Amino acid sequence: MFVKRILIAAVALAYLGFLAVLGAAYLVGLKQASAWPPAGAGRAIADKDLPKVEKNVQQLEKRMSGLLPKGLYIVIDTAENRLYVKNGKDVVRTAVVSCGSGVVLEESGGKQRKWVFDTPRGEFSIKSKINNPYWVKPDWAFIEEGESIPKGLEDRIEAGTLGDYALGFGQGFFIHGTLYTRLLGRNVTHGCVRVGDEDLKAIFKAVPIGAKIYIY
Amino acid sequence: MKTTAKIAVIILTGLVWAVPAASQDKGGLVKKQNSLNSEYSLAKDSNFYFVLDFLGRKLELRVRGMVLRSWSFQSMRFWGRPELSGNVELVRKTALRAPERIVIKPGGNAEKVEGAPAPVAKPTGTDPAEFNLEALELKDMPKKFSFDFDNGLRILVKTKKAASGGPVGSMREAWGWYVDLPLRNLFGAPAGTGLSELELTFDNEKDAQSIYWHFFDGIKGIIL
Repeated sequence: MFVKRILIAAVALAYLGFLAVLGAAYLVGLKQASAWPPAGAGRAIADKDLPKVEKNVQQLEKRMSGLLPKGLYIVIDTAENRLYVKNGKDVVRTAVVSCGSGVVLEESGGKQRKWVFDTPRGEFSIKSKINNPYWVKPDWAFIEEGESIPKGLEDRIEAGTLGDYALGFGQGFFIHGTLYTRLLGRNVTHGCVRVGDEDLKAIFKAVPIGAKIYIY
Repeated sequence: MKTTAKIAVIILTGLVWAVPAASQDKGGLVKKQNSLNSEYSLAKDSNFYFVLDFLGRKLELRVRGMVLRSWSFQSMRFWGRPELSGNVELVRKTALRAPERIVIKPGGNAEKVEGAPAPVAKPTGTDPAEFNLEALELKDMPKKFSFDFDNGLRILVKTKKAASGGPVGSMREAWGWYVDLPLRNLFGAPAGTGLSELELTFDNEKDAQSIYWHFFDGIKGIIL
């Protein structure tokens, strides 16, 4: 009986101790929260400095708007598989596209190379515009199919795969057409951006070489 | 006499309202100047960056000052050191079920991290959106994850659905937020290693998934 009481008292004490510590933790939390924002933050400005700050803000806003790309540019959302042709802040055209699958291809023998099929992200610009493009199949295209890599260039050339137009944006990546239109809107490519025929034609005709591309 | 008193009261009331409003304007202007300065330092480069606006309850992905994506969060809560605002850099993103890439080894054994053959569509219905692809897509991204920043801030991103993991999940979450975090904060505070944890809850689960997709290690940002 006595031992039982001692045990109950010990448990009660431990519980109270825990509550006390937790209470202290909440007090510390409240103290931290009440110390924010720091006293005087963002308020220490004299009346005479006001015009200077206003001018500074105007200049910064001007500089910021100067960073926006001039003329038409392309924005690609790789998660949603959407391409937007924009002019300033206006969206001129929206297209459903296919971006990189994110798959990794590893070469079993030979040089044991590795490719990651991601659409590159960042700021690019259109470097080339090609009518009736041919696809010069790179090594991975053969490795993926389990075929041997040909020695001659003529064995790598494939017509019709890339559609009627292609816009190159560097490092071998293109915005081009596709035979697999049912897969538009899904991540299926080896890194290029596939676009449907009509959208591709409109983009190709509208967007000049040098136009910026933002892929995110 | 009565009219004069009324006018005096109106003028005094006007003054009482006007003084704090003017000081708020000043504060707002300085804040705007600081945030524009911070943003310009990021926007002048071609890299993507993000802006987390607490008051506006939104998270934005930007480049060159232009908003690429904007996500509005439904609710937020915070524990720990509140010195959040300023420029930060994402050091690590952590998810319980982080997406894994499919690795193809033609001629060898196809693996799945490891999957099977090349990205070939396997129709399961008539809608192309239902095809089961061997690819890493938005739907494969986690709905609950955390970001660790270089200033010690941790942001937990989740969706309402991901938050409700049944009674056990709710209890675990409540324990974590109301007991574990305060205690860790308490014992870290004297050493200056107190935590700083912010939780953002999104209504739409696709929002959380696309944030995971678009935020890469090393991305810089501004917290307003």
